[in-house]
Amino acid sequence: MNDVLRDLFPLAWSGMITGCLYALGAMGLVMIFKSSRVVNFSHGNVAGFAAFLIYGFSSGVLLDLSWGAAVLLTIVAVVAIACLTYAVIAPLVFDSDLTATIATLGIGLIAQGATLLIFGADIVSLDLPIPRFSTSVLGLRITGYDLTVLGVAIVTIGALFFVIDYTKLGIAFRAISENSFAAEVCGLNLRSIHLFSWVVAAVLGVVGALLIVPTTFLSVTTVAAFMLQAFAAAVIGGFASLPGSLIGGILIGVLMNLFTFYVSPQFSSTFLLCIILLALNIFPNGILARVGGSRV
Amino acid sequence: MSDHPVTIKAVHPPLPERLRELVASDLGSYVLAVVLIVLPLLVSGSWMFAIGVCFANAIGVLAVSFLVRYGGEVSIGHAFFAAVGAYSVAILDTRFGLSLLVSVPLALVLGVVTGVAFAWPSRKLSGIYLAVSTMALALAVPELINNTDALTGGYEGLYVSKPLIPGLPMSFQRYYVALAVLIAVVFALARFRHSRQGLTILLSKAHPAAADAFGTRQVWARCAVLGISGGIAALCGAMLAFAGSTVSPSGFTLWSSIFLLVGSVVSFYGLTLARALIGGAFLTLVPQFLSASGAWIPVFYGLALLGMILLGHYLPRLKEMMARHGGTA
Repeated sequence: MNDVLRDLFPLAWSGMITGCLYALGAMGLVMIFKSSRVVNFSHGNVAGFAAFLIYGFSSGVLLDLSWGAAVLLTIVAVVAIACLTYAVIAPLVFDSDLTATIATLGIGLIAQGATLLIFGADIVSLDLPIPRFSTSVLGLRITGYDLTVLGVAIVTIGALFFVIDYTKLGIAFRAISENSFAAEVCGLNLRSIHLFSWVVAAVLGVVGALLIVPTTFLSVTTVAAFMLQAFAAAVIGGFASLPGSLIGGILIGVLMNLFTFYVSPQFSSTFLLCIILLALNIFPNGILARVGGSRV
Repeated sequence: MSDHPVTIKAVHPPLPERLRELVASDLGSYVLAVVLIVLPLLVSGSWMFAIGVCFANAIGVLAVSFLVRYGGEVSIGHAFFAAVGAYSVAILDTRFGLSLLVSVPLALVLGVVTGVAFAWPSRKLSGIYLAVSTMALALAVPELINNTDALTGGYEGLYVSKPLIPGLPMSFQRYYVALAVLIAVVFALARFRHSRQGLTILLSKAHPAAADAFGTRQVWARCAVLGISGGIAALCGAMLAFAGSTVSPSGFTLWSSIFLLVGSVVSFYGLTLARALIGGAFLTLVPQFLSASGAWIPVFYGLALLGMILLGHYLPRLKEMMARHGGTA
C-alpha cells in the first residue's frame, strides 16, 4: 500500500505537468472551435513546424539568433501562417464546418511537408534556456522544468481568461460563440473575431510545443503526436469549454501517466481511444456541461 | 414554352432522355471496365502491379465516399478497417495457408463487424465529434499491430504469396482479383442506391425526423452505414494485401486514413468506377511519381485537397454567375 502511494504521488505530479501542456494545446483547438465551429486538424503540424523554426533560427540552420529573438521571429511567422490559413478556409467557414475541417487537414499536410522539405527527417534537440534546478518536497522531486511549465501555463491561461472575461474583444468572442447570428446582427465583425481566435490558438500551440519538446526530442511527428492528447483533452472538455479543456488536459496527463506506469506503455493510443469514446458517450457536451435534455 | 412550367419538366424528363442518360452513365463504366480488363496486354509488369494497388486504393476511397454520401459523416480512421481486412488475408495466408477464397469473405465479415462495433459506442456522435473519434481509432492501429507481433509479424509485416488459382502467373492474379473486387463493389453500390435499404438510409440522412416516423431509427442507419463502409474498407485492405503483396503497420497509420479521405475528396465523393479510379490513382500514382522527393508528397496532397475543396465551393457559384450573365445577354 505504501509503495503504491509512493509511486502514485510523483506520477500524478508529472502527469499534471504534462497535462498543463495538453491543456494549452486543447485550448487552442477550443478557441478556434468556439468561434468558427472548425476543428483545426493542422494545429499539431503547424506547432511542430514552429518548433522547428525556433530550432532553425537559433541553431544556425536558417539564422543564428539568440533564443529569445528566435522565439519572437517564430511567433511572427506563426501568426502570419494562422492568418494565411484562415484566409484560405474563410470562404468555407460559413458554408459547412465539416468542409472547413477537412480543409485544415490539407493545411496540416502542407505544414508537415514543409517541415520535411526545410529541415529533413532528422531528429534534433531543442532545450529551454532555464537553469538546472531540482529540489525535493515531501519526497517529490521538483525540477526547474516543472516549475517553468507550471509558471508559463498559469500565466498564459490566466492571461487568456482575463482577456476573454474582461476585455471588449473577449466579450465579442463569447458573444460569437454563444450565438454568431445575433452577434452579427449587433454589428460585430465575425471575421476579425475568428482571426483573433486563430492567432491566439497558434501562439498557444507554439508555447505548448516549446515546453513539450525538451522532455523528448524534436522530429516531424513529435509535436503532432503531442497534439493528439490535446485533442483528447478538448473532447473531455466537450470541445466548447475552455475551463473544461483545462481540466481535461490535466485529467488526460495524469491518466496517461498512470496507465503507462501501471498497465502497459505499448497500448497508450488504444487507451486514449477508449477515453475519447467513453468521454463522448458519458459527457457528450463535456464534463462541465449543464445537465439538461433535448426536446424533439 | 411558357405554358409548361420548367420545374415540372426538370423533375420528369421524357422517358427516352432518361433511358439515354442511364445507358450513357452505365456505358462509360462498361467501356472503362473492358479497357481495364485488356490493359495488362499493353503495359509492363511494374505498371500492372501499380495499377493493381490503385484498384485496391480505389475500393478504400469508395468506402470513405460511401460514408460521406449515405451517412453525411467524415472519417479519418478508415485505415483501421483496411488493416482488419489486410491482416485477415495476410494472417490466414502465412499462418494457416488459406487462400483468398476463405480470407476475403472473412475480411468482409470482420470489417462489417468492426464497423458496427465502432458505430455502436459512437452512435450519438456526428460531424466533427465523430471525425475526432475516428481519428483516435486510426491512432490505435499501428500499436495494436506492433504489439501482437506473434500473429501480425510486428514492424516487419507479412508477405502474401498464396495464389487464388494455382498455376496462373501471380502478377496477373494480383491485377485481376483486385479489379474484380473493385468492379463488384462498384456494381453492388450502384444496386444499393436503388434498393429499399439504400433509399431508407438516404432518407434518414436527409430527413432524420421523417425517417424516424417511418420506423428507421438513427442508430440503425448509423450502424448500417458504418458497417457497410467498414466492410468495403476491409475489402480494400484485403486487396492491398493481395495486390501489394506485403502488409506492414506503416501502411495503416493516421496518414493513410487521411490520404483515403483526400482520395475521396479528389473524386468528389463519387461512387462510380471512374470516380473511384481517380481517387485510387491519386493515392497510388502520386507517391510513385514523387518517389524521388518524398517530402513533396504531403505538400502535394495538401494542395490537392485544398484545391478540390475550394473548387467544389466556388464551381457552383461560378456556374450560377455564368448562367446569370448568359441569361441576361
